[in-house]
Amino acid sequence: MTTIATTTTAPPRARKLAGAGRRQWIGLLYVAPAVALVVVFFLIPLGMTAWMSLHNWPLMGEHSYIGLDNYVAILRDTRFWNALKFTAYYTVIVTIAIFAVAFPLALFVERPRPLTNLYRTMFFMPAVVGFASASLLWSWLLNVDSGLFSPAAYDLGLIDKKFNLLATFQPAFWSIIAMVVWKVAGFTMIILMAGLQSIPQDLQEAAIIDGAGPFARFRAITLPLMRRTLALALILSVAGSILAFDQFYIILRGGPRNQTLTAVYWIFNQSFVSFKLGYGAALSMVLLVILVALSLVQLWLLRKPEGLD
Amino acid sequence: MRNLIAKLALAAAVLGSGLGTAAAETANIWVRADGSNFMPRIVDAYNKAHKDQIKLDIIPNAEIIPKYGAAAAGGTAPDALSLDLIYTPSFAAAGQLEDITDWAKSLPYFASLSPAHVKTGTYKDHIYGLPFSADASVLIWNKKLFKQAGLDPEKGPTNWAEIAADAEKVNALGGNIKGFYFSGNCGGCNIFTFTPLIWASGGDILSEDGSKATLDSPQLRGAIDLYRSMVKKDLVPAGAQTDTGANFFAAFAAGNIGISPSGAFAIGALNTQYPNVDYGVTFLPGKDGNWSSFAGGDNFVVTKGTKKLPVVKEFLDFAYSLEGQTILAKYGSLPVRGDIAKDALKDLDPRYQIAAEAMAKGRTPYSVVFNDLINSANGPWTQMINEVFFGDDVDGAIANAQETMQSIIDQAPQK
Repeated sequence: MTTIATTTTAPPRARKLAGAGRRQWIGLLYVAPAVALVVVFFLIPLGMTAWMSLHNWPLMGEHSYIGLDNYVAILRDTRFWNALKFTAYYTVIVTIAIFAVAFPLALFVERPRPLTNLYRTMFFMPAVVGFASASLLWSWLLNVDSGLFSPAAYDLGLIDKKFNLLATFQPAFWSIIAMVVWKVAGFTMIILMAGLQSIPQDLQEAAIIDGAGPFARFRAITLPLMRRTLALALILSVAGSILAFDQFYIILRGGPRNQTLTAVYWIFNQSFVSFKLGYGAALSMVLLVILVALSLVQLWLLRKPEGLD
Repeated sequence: MRNLIAKLALAAAVLGSGLGTAAAETANIWVRADGSNFMPRIVDAYNKAHKDQIKLDIIPNAEIIPKYGAAAAGGTAPDALSLDLIYTPSFAAAGQLEDITDWAKSLPYFASLSPAHVKTGTYKDHIYGLPFSADASVLIWNKKLFKQAGLDPEKGPTNWAEIAADAEKVNALGGNIKGFYFSGNCGGCNIFTFTPLIWASGGDILSEDGSKATLDSPQLRGAIDLYRSMVKKDLVPAGAQTDTGANFFAAFAAGNIGISPSGAFAIGALNTQYPNVDYGVTFLPGKDGNWSSFAGGDNFVVTKGTKKLPVVKEFLDFAYSLEGQTILAKYGSLPVRGDIAKDALKDLDPRYQIAAEAMAKGRTPYSVVFNDLINSANGPWTQMINEVFFGDDVDGAIANAQETMQSIIDQAPQK
């Protein structure tokens, strides 16, 4: 995220501040509260996490310095790598699913038409529910005995025996995907809509005059000009998915048979079920590195082509 | 300003005098939410009768361990806590608890305290925890449904064949009514209610000292076959397969279940919250009769280095009195003192007597990594029970769990 901030805002600010030493100090004063927040709630905890990761740090009792032993242990921790593999699989699927739903929705609500505001609100609504509350809601909807989907299908005569959606991997996994798409697509839609609206109308009109069809216009004008918006939506979606925990913890408990343990879930288990805080911290550092690397790759892939803008 | 200093000095003087021997002290105690019924009552009774006071905090079940760990690290741990007894070995191993061996052994009734609690409260021959509340696993059946199905409503099943046969008869009533219920994805529920079936048949899942996993036994396989056959015959609601414990009690309380393994806590809960359910209580039987029970509940442990030890001891002594034991029994815990258990239960529902008897002969597995092995929703025990009850590969699931459990035991910190 920091990279975005520097590339987009640094040059104009640098020009303005040059030659105004006093104003520079005032500027520092203005950002001081933000800096303090970042230091207290991000940098210091991050430093502590790194420090703890070098220790055998049980939840209770004495901790001892063990150097890089935790990191060596991670290399052999097949269950963590499996969790990471599942997280990657989930991230790819859910990101595609979110965009597949959010992009058409954004195109639909972008242009003014009757009831646009109603649609926008409706689609966005689930985004204001917390992930934990949404998970609890779906946990009930998906319940085979007292929920909605399975009993309703049974009562309507669509199935002749109640089907437990959460008992096997595929239905359980796709139920979670459906829940996350329901919950997140509205938010992504708003981001994409803002991007669509920032595309100058005259470009589209010029293309129409030149005889470009709707698909050609989408490919040659809309997509390239939405590069930054897409980058933002993509990074938010990928980062959010890699850190997924609530829905798998609340709805599935990592089941059926531990097939939906995500990386964060594994860190939580190591820290608060097995009481190995030091090891949990080391796992967190590994996940952080992976996440930063992935975000950099995405920014690089969606960087501004030379000479544009 | 000078005025303020004077006030501060006065306050300091008052506080200083407060530290003298004459003044009342307040000790802080935590309990998990399971104890939210009886704990406030007994604390109230104690506070009314004593000068020293107890301040009670009730913590959600799942959070009490991490919260206590964090508080201990920050120096704000409570003076004592009522701790799920299976955690006592790991807390003691972490050096977090005060050694109360001498005091415990000086109690005149020490020998009649619940043996299962004292066993888990003992680490390397020192006592770190003493029994506080108790819960034993039992089998409960719905008398109304038994009657409808043409069974004797006063006679619960006494072996595995009878469980299966009775469940099938009740199930035949049809509609929403099902024969049997268990939480098929809950490790904690099944260590409590499923292992007694194995114990009563002569098997075990862990060696006596917790150093060996002994899953692959004919007794375990037999008990698995019992559950599998009932699942196969559709005697169990479909939701059981994914129940992580939320319906452990609620399923039976709704009145549509014939038989369910449960705990003594269900007696109090059914009587007060579901007075319309007519139920019977019996022991969890072995394959051919005999019976066993899981002795659960809380141990009372003291945080290492607390300055309020005398208050804490006085409170525990009060809890062990007939008055204390009666309060506990009345509000949902079994008595933990065998010698006065009968007196404490005298005026209560007679079904408690069965549970108290189950408690007295109850067993508790001993392990410093109990959470990792058994209770964790992602641990080997939970995974195995779900696979063997509902999956296709029983042998593979048992072998896998045996291997994982043994490796967790072997990797546990040895101190």
